[in-house]
Amino acid sequence: MQDLETISREVNRDLRAYKATLMVCTGTGCISAGAFNVRDALNRILKEKSLESDYLVIGTGCNGFCAVGPIVVVQPEGIFYQKVKAKGDVEEIVEKHLQKGSVVERLLYRDPATGQRFQTMADIGFFSKQRPIALRNKGIIDPENIEHYIGRGGYRAIRGILESGSPDEVIESVIKSGIRGRGGGGFPAGIKWRSAREAALQRREIPYVVCNADEGDPGAFMDRSIIEADPHSVIEGMMIGAFSVGANEGFVYVRKEYPLAMARLGKAIRQARERGLLGKNIFETEFSFDIHIHRGAGAFVCGESTALMASMSGKAGEPRAKYVHNVEYGYRDKPTVLNNVETWANIPVIIEKGSDWFASIGTGNVRENPWGGSSGTKVFSLVGAINNTGLVEVPMGVTLREIIYEIGGGIPGGRRFKAVQTGGPSGGCIPVEKLDMPVDFDSLTEAGSMMGSGGMIVMDDRTCMVDVAKYFTGFLMDESCGKCTPCREGLPALYETLDRICNGQGKEGDIEFLEEVSETVSATSLCQLGGTAGNPILSTIRYFRDEYHAHIRDKRCPAGHCKALITYSINHEKCTGCTLCALKCPSGAITGEKKQTHRIDPLKCIKCGICFEVCNFDAVEVK
Amino acid sequence: MITVNNRDELSWHDGMTVQDILDVMGYTYVLIMVTVNGVLVHSEDYSGTKVPDEADVRVIHIMHGG
Amino acid sequence: MIMADKISIVINGKPREIPEGTFLLDAVRKEGITVPTLCHHKDLMPSGTCRLCICEIEVRGKKKLVTACNYPVREPLEVWTDSETVTRHRRILAEMYLGRWPNVRAVREIAGLCGVSESRFKGRYTEEDPQSCILCGHCVRACREFALERILDFAGRGIHRHIAMPFNEVDPHCIGCTSCAYVCPTGAIQIVDDLNQPVDPQMIRDHGMKVNAEMANLDPVQCRMREVGTANIVDVMNQYDLLPVKNYKYGSHPEVWKIDSKMLKAKYFTQNMPDGCWKGCSMACAKTIDDFELRTGPYKGQKVCVDGPEYETAAGGSNMGCFDADFIAEFNFYCDTYGIDTISAATTIAFVMECFENGVIDTGVTGGLELNFGSGDEVLELLHQMARGEGFGVDVGQGIRWLKDKWENEYGADRKFMDDIGMETKGLEVSEYVTKESLAQQCGYGMAIKGPQHDEAWLIFMDMVNNELPTYEHKAEALHYFPLWRTWFGLYGLCKLCWNDVVPADNKMTSEPQKVPDHVNNYFKFVEGMTGIKLDEQKMLDQSARVYNLQRVMSRMLGYGTRRDDYMPYRALGPVTAEEYESRQDRYDKQLREIVGVDPEGRSTSEKIKILRDYREDQYDKTVSVVYRRRGWDDNGVPTVERLKELGIDLPELVAIVEKNRG
Repeated sequence: MQDLETISREVNRDLRAYKATLMVCTGTGCISAGAFNVRDALNRILKEKSLESDYLVIGTGCNGFCAVGPIVVVQPEGIFYQKVKAKGDVEEIVEKHLQKGSVVERLLYRDPATGQRFQTMADIGFFSKQRPIALRNKGIIDPENIEHYIGRGGYRAIRGILESGSPDEVIESVIKSGIRGRGGGGFPAGIKWRSAREAALQRREIPYVVCNADEGDPGAFMDRSIIEADPHSVIEGMMIGAFSVGANEGFVYVRKEYPLAMARLGKAIRQARERGLLGKNIFETEFSFDIHIHRGAGAFVCGESTALMASMSGKAGEPRAKYVHNVEYGYRDKPTVLNNVETWANIPVIIEKGSDWFASIGTGNVRENPWGGSSGTKVFSLVGAINNTGLVEVPMGVTLREIIYEIGGGIPGGRRFKAVQTGGPSGGCIPVEKLDMPVDFDSLTEAGSMMGSGGMIVMDDRTCMVDVAKYFTGFLMDESCGKCTPCREGLPALYETLDRICNGQGKEGDIEFLEEVSETVSATSLCQLGGTAGNPILSTIRYFRDEYHAHIRDKRCPAGHCKALITYSINHEKCTGCTLCALKCPSGAITGEKKQTHRIDPLKCIKCGICFEVCNFDAVEVK
Repeated sequence: MITVNNRDELSWHDGMTVQDILDVMGYTYVLIMVTVNGVLVHSEDYSGTKVPDEADVRVIHIMHGG
Repeated sequence: MIMADKISIVINGKPREIPEGTFLLDAVRKEGITVPTLCHHKDLMPSGTCRLCICEIEVRGKKKLVTACNYPVREPLEVWTDSETVTRHRRILAEMYLGRWPNVRAVREIAGLCGVSESRFKGRYTEEDPQSCILCGHCVRACREFALERILDFAGRGIHRHIAMPFNEVDPHCIGCTSCAYVCPTGAIQIVDDLNQPVDPQMIRDHGMKVNAEMANLDPVQCRMREVGTANIVDVMNQYDLLPVKNYKYGSHPEVWKIDSKMLKAKYFTQNMPDGCWKGCSMACAKTIDDFELRTGPYKGQKVCVDGPEYETAAGGSNMGCFDADFIAEFNFYCDTYGIDTISAATTIAFVMECFENGVIDTGVTGGLELNFGSGDEVLELLHQMARGEGFGVDVGQGIRWLKDKWENEYGADRKFMDDIGMETKGLEVSEYVTKESLAQQCGYGMAIKGPQHDEAWLIFMDMVNNELPTYEHKAEALHYFPLWRTWFGLYGLCKLCWNDVVPADNKMTSEPQKVPDHVNNYFKFVEGMTGIKLDEQKMLDQSARVYNLQRVMSRMLGYGTRRDDYMPYRALGPVTAEEYESRQDRYDKQLREIVGVDPEGRSTSEKIKILRDYREDQYDKTVSVVYRRRGWDDNGVPTVERLKELGIDLPELVAIVEKNRG
């Protein structure tokens, strides 16, 4: 096998030989917006013009700025083009930018607030405030070419450990870095590894390492993006973990709904095997390790560690009591280390740059005790009522305000921020009063929410918080495995109550019922699906109790969302009679003559909101 | 001196427990019932039950072959 | 036995010491504290799904709620079973149950216990049927743990969870053991009886289920029949110096670890399921080795399935001096394949080996085979010869008695020596237990009607270890009761392992623990449930004695069945050779001194052997006499007419035989 330095030198030399490289984001989001077409169009045009030896097109993983995909970044200048279309835009990039050296202004990023255009990622707020560590290679490498990862310094960490490190040293390092589980549990990874190693030695068993890539939270795509952009970071992380605990086999459990991630990971594993980086006697040492991919089958509960392991064993994906931990008796009853994708992806860089470096990023003081703070960065998926939808990676401790406004670009349509849901369906809603709180494990938990896997759903004043609670409760109800009573029986009862409330049939005692039952479900459920199921309800009641009261007592939805409680009507002072709403109305509920005030028939109105969306005069009112 | 199964004699020492007797006699079989001076001793108490001098100890094995 | 450490815990304010690993619920219930449960069952592993048993605990300074039923206590903690938090949550849980299944008795009881009489959870999913399935999972666990099957399981996600068979089809693997119906608390599972119409099927089930529960819960800490089968006895016999080694010369060997249950389980046994006997047996003690590659014979090189080894086969290996599990597995396989009894083969070959080593026969006789103790390859070659019908193996296949006659006649071999070491009685080879120090077992073997096998009596521990049969009368009583009881199983076609290879936890409290009375009662109830016939000990003994005495009379009719045939070779009674005597010198010298009343000082080994022999043979004679009397036979071992009358089998033909042949 060629040594890493040689491969690195050669691949970088080859890349530098080009006049420019065009990095086309081919994460799932951009693909669905047409990124493959853009990439193919670029390749075709370059070939037609015989420019292939001058310019290279590379499909990279998720760039992060999903709101403006498809994205093409021209390196080494770093010119950032957004919303590129295969027809028209691609030709202009090649002819105007590449051949004539002139930037295509109209394709540059445009700040929605100021209208200003920015050329490079460094200038764009969305990117400049981020600190990519887990996503250090996003948008820079071809995830389907192991040489790119090696060219960026990959596999040096594991090699260094195998040459002159010991398992105990590695574990100490990971503990001192303070890295806590990025999947939601927030448990210090190093301590987990140490317990597993001790259990394995004591019982003379060979442990396993597992990567949880089930990522079930709606709206979360951090793990997917990491695997799609940089699968080798996960592989190398697992190798380091395996070495530390004494494992020879690793498993990645990928949810069925991530075919691209599975394909890229599979390819990465194959390429690693071909180079001898997986398999027997890695780097000619006694360390042997290989990874297998397990495919999920559509169950949110399989993101829970014991349910995941049951699923891997061919059993129904149901959790078990965790009084005896996975690090003692996990997969196949052997000591097992299970960590999230993002956790694994951080490990190689922690080893390379040192635990002190990692511990210095973030909040609190983790050197004495990893529970004492939140070190490193966290990848968040910023979605919902936000301008810059996408993936952001920031140091722990950055405030919500910074994320939502400076990176996220604020709320579209000039609407008002109302709340942000963190941690997925297991999390809670955080209101505007807490916008300046730091985002870290402990602060979020104190506020009644949790870090979770890093989902961040921004809500504006048109979001009904009761409906939000109902949405998440309904999700959890559908995903409940049904094994334990409080989750199985409690969630449907909670959902039905919320449904009634949203339909104007709420009654006195409902809020108390919701609170009591949510608390019992959370306190007595067998796993953390039920164990955190109360959070959406309890946090929305905590911060938005009057919204509940409005629904129950006044039969009113202040956000104007709950269909049963709102009516659409046309303000005759503002209506110009342009007939656009009547044309678009799917149920023919709007009548009116041209240039005359139009009228909505409440009996036919299905409250779809299309008239509200299309009216250019703000004449449609929702009450 | 203590007697085991009305036949074997073992020298007694202060602090001698039921478990000590089982160890000396090589009684490792699992389905046994032990009485000391007619009183049944439960298996979880073998290490903790002291046997007095001159005791009549019975170790009855329930074993009927295969 | 490894003793568990004791952990200090505090239960509702009271300090207690409990063994490490105890489930919190068991510790708490032992104090008489009531904790509501629905998914818990005393005979099944806990599942922790109903959540009613939640208790508040504080461990290492942190408070949390845990389900007591499956929380193993491994470190000091404090537990509150009825704190305000616990009570509050239990009420909501009880409401949930009551709302879903308002008419199920078990649910109403729980609701009552938690102080709940109404539910806010009534609605779309409420089931009014009082026999609704409440998803407790007892049936699923009973099928797994009692019957070792997986017929029933949960299906459906969330609120749609229900019990189902795979693909909603009746599973052909279900053998109708009805464990599921037995443990169902609501009657959601009903049994539909058909087939052979037992008088009282519930009586049979109740007692059968008790055994199933014992197998699931007690066997793992008793004989481990499910885990290693009868092979567990190899370990025990070796520890007590009763494992036959080199033709019964010795009782233990330092290399036994190569063939004991630990080795077999670790490296050989692959299957663990009811096999060969009947499907549904919860003892499931038959063990099997898959993919075993044969080294010899017509199937050399093939990978086969070895059905075993059982104790007798493994101990047979030891008896031949072959401490090699590969050999034993191959020996097992070929005996099975050729239709050869492993006991007869092993005991005969052990005899052949001792004769070879003592020069009674040589390679001229054996056709070149060097048949020393431990010569495994030669033993296998003998089997193949037996099967092919050629070579020395054909002779060996005739058994010890035939070989003694041939070698005496053809080679002038020392008949007395061969009689002493050739372990056969009535022409049948002895099974694999060392009887030298148990007079009761010597008689048990020697007096058995079919020949020396322990279907009738196995008294070695009662006699030699427990010293429970010190007098002739004690021995006679045991040799009256046990052969009758043990052969009774055969009359009904029942396996006796469920009688003695697992015992109830409270057996030691009974007045006659050796009889395992609770299990004897199980069998009586089985008969009663099948036929309506009520049995007790006397009736059972009479049933058996009728057949036993009939068999004895038939022996007489054939010219056997008297004291002359009820003897054992001296190897079974005591040391034949100097090396045997000297290997246990202290013990034998002590016996001479204390029991026989002769001072061993200054006497040669052969003298001492003779003295001991005279004593033991005399003991044997005396015991036989007492047993005959107890059995109602005359001093020659022939049933008296009174005895036949007593049993109601004084048929003219039988009376004629015993009177004519009183001998």
